[in-house]
Amino acid sequence: MQHSFGTPQRQSLVGVVVMFTDTLQSTLRKLWPLLLVMVLRINETNRLYIVLGVLGAALLLAIVAYLKYYNFTFFLDEANDEFVIRKGILNKSRIAIPLDKIQKVNINQSVIQKIIGVHELEVDTAGSSKKEVAIKAITHENALILKKHLLESDKSIPKDEFAIEKSTIEDEHPFIEISFISLLKTGITSNYARSFALLFAFVITVYQNIEEYIDITGYDDNPFGEYINAEVLLKFTIFIILAILVVTLLINLTRTIVKYFNYKITKQQNSLLLSHGLLTTHNTILRPERVQIVTVGRNYFQKKMDIQDVKIRQASNQESAKEQHKLIMEIPGCNETEKDVLLNFLLNKMPERGEMLKPSIRKVVVQVIKLLLIPLSIYFLTAHFLFKELYDYMLFLPLYIFFVTIMIYFAYRNSRLFTNSEFIIKQSGAWDVDNDILAPHKIQAVSLKQYFWHKRSDVGMVTLYTAGGMIRFGLADYKKLKQLVNYWLYQVETTSKNWM
Amino acid sequence: MEDYSNIPIDTLDLPRFEEVQLTPLRAGYYKIVLINIALFYLLLAIAIGIGIYYLDEARPYLYTAIIISVIMLVLTLVISRISFKNKGYAFRTHDVIYRSGALALTTTIIPYNRVQHVAVHEGFISRKLGLAAVEVFTAGGNSSDVKIPGMDKQHAEKIKQLLMGKVLNEETDAA
Repeated sequence: MQHSFGTPQRQSLVGVVVMFTDTLQSTLRKLWPLLLVMVLRINETNRLYIVLGVLGAALLLAIVAYLKYYNFTFFLDEANDEFVIRKGILNKSRIAIPLDKIQKVNINQSVIQKIIGVHELEVDTAGSSKKEVAIKAITHENALILKKHLLESDKSIPKDEFAIEKSTIEDEHPFIEISFISLLKTGITSNYARSFALLFAFVITVYQNIEEYIDITGYDDNPFGEYINAEVLLKFTIFIILAILVVTLLINLTRTIVKYFNYKITKQQNSLLLSHGLLTTHNTILRPERVQIVTVGRNYFQKKMDIQDVKIRQASNQESAKEQHKLIMEIPGCNETEKDVLLNFLLNKMPERGEMLKPSIRKVVVQVIKLLLIPLSIYFLTAHFLFKELYDYMLFLPLYIFFVTIMIYFAYRNSRLFTNSEFIIKQSGAWDVDNDILAPHKIQAVSLKQYFWHKRSDVGMVTLYTAGGMIRFGLADYKKLKQLVNYWLYQVETTSKNWM
Repeated sequence: MEDYSNIPIDTLDLPRFEEVQLTPLRAGYYKIVLINIALFYLLLAIAIGIGIYYLDEARPYLYTAIIISVIMLVLTLVISRISFKNKGYAFRTHDVIYRSGALALTTTIIPYNRVQHVAVHEGFISRKLGLAAVEVFTAGGNSSDVKIPGMDKQHAEKIKQLLMGKVLNEETDAA
């Protein structure tokens, strides 16, 4: 029987079971603390009520599940070339997806679905509410037909990412190879912030232990007086600090080498094949049209050694930032020529820095409040009212203030936005200076934000959203930002280039 | 190639989004906001009442609880009023503009050729008042999506048709 899906229809009737288990699952997830309390309080007298309660709840869930099933319809609107879903019991929604916006159609099966013999059909639109568009119960046959229909109108479906045969890769000449020396350089020059934090934590712990030790033994009758004197202690501390530095460097180095060993980039028709890894080799295919933001980053040492990291953010429909983070491709230790070749390939031309926009001095004020005033007042308030012991750590305050002040100063000095007709480049960072490069036609939406206390000085923030993440710049002259936004909108609205 | 020209554009001559007169939301939407606030504070009042009635230890805190709740209520009302006044939208030829916020004023603009799909939402109360919300999705993630509440139902449906039409037209133009 050939289904055309031209008229609104419901899911398979057995789908009620799926709805029921789904609703049960989400209810349990929301109410588990309450249920736990109830279960713990079970005793002989109210057992009957509990049983009745459970039965009542099950009945209620069954009704909700049935209503969910009853109110969920889907059909193909041939006239408008849309796939339309209607759902909701009290809050009704109608979701329409133009067929040519559909990226992928997944057919999955969970355990419950396997038991009752239905499948789930998920429509992936690269829009953000992927989960809204899923048919929970459909027969396999119908799912396949519907999938065919959904993908029929789209001629620009990207080929399966991993369709390219591995065997063809071997004989291709690598386009870029990251040498072992470059990896060594990257290993010893990256992740300083993390190492520093580790060191700081360690110093505080050691300091605390010494304090306690002196408290216990007392100054006068120190039994080890001759052995543990100030000099030995100082030598020991310095030794430990050096040891930590070496260990963190070694860890960073090993991590970099294990992850990126034998980094090869091969050109393949219109895409790049990245392969790297010492123990397990990762292979990824990168298509330039999917690339949204390219970040070139390096710190002072890396600049001196002529290496930089290139990070590539691709279009994704991942909801969470964590998932999106996983999709970032990192190419460590590129030298200047390798970086240029990469940028040329990914962006079609070398990005140039255009007109420069500096942030307002108010940015420094905000950072000072956020990183100095608020943490310090919290520290002093808790020390004064709650834990007097916190005053023992006063010694570290100048160190913190000194460090943070320098970071704020450099972050402000490095914060810049460059725009020309082809690229938007945002430079940021205190130690590791990143340049985010974005072509205006990749912009999905723009938003401007201004707090009411920034109105008088007329500064604000701008956010550019792309399918691979966002770029935020501010605080800066609001008038100038508005002008830029108007220009970017003009560019997006008149471009014939697709963002993917 | 001969027809090709690349004259620099005067960015100051471009249409300015900040000069567009934004349409405020329907007054009925504020009613929905008020009903929601009322419901919340009613529940809070009931909770406080029950607490005071059953727990003797809680009784001395009755006035503190009432004062805090009243202050919170006043603040909520003021903020909701400001945020209602700030909300506004406009549909231009090529993009949709939506402004919102209380402490910070945020203006989000989505070009039609970047719209992924459009949804019309009706809440239980808003259906009774004939109101609906239009939500415009892009591929730029949740935070870039725009949800315009407080529109007449028919208006919302029309806007949706318009947007879907635009989305499809842009596509056929590009092809």
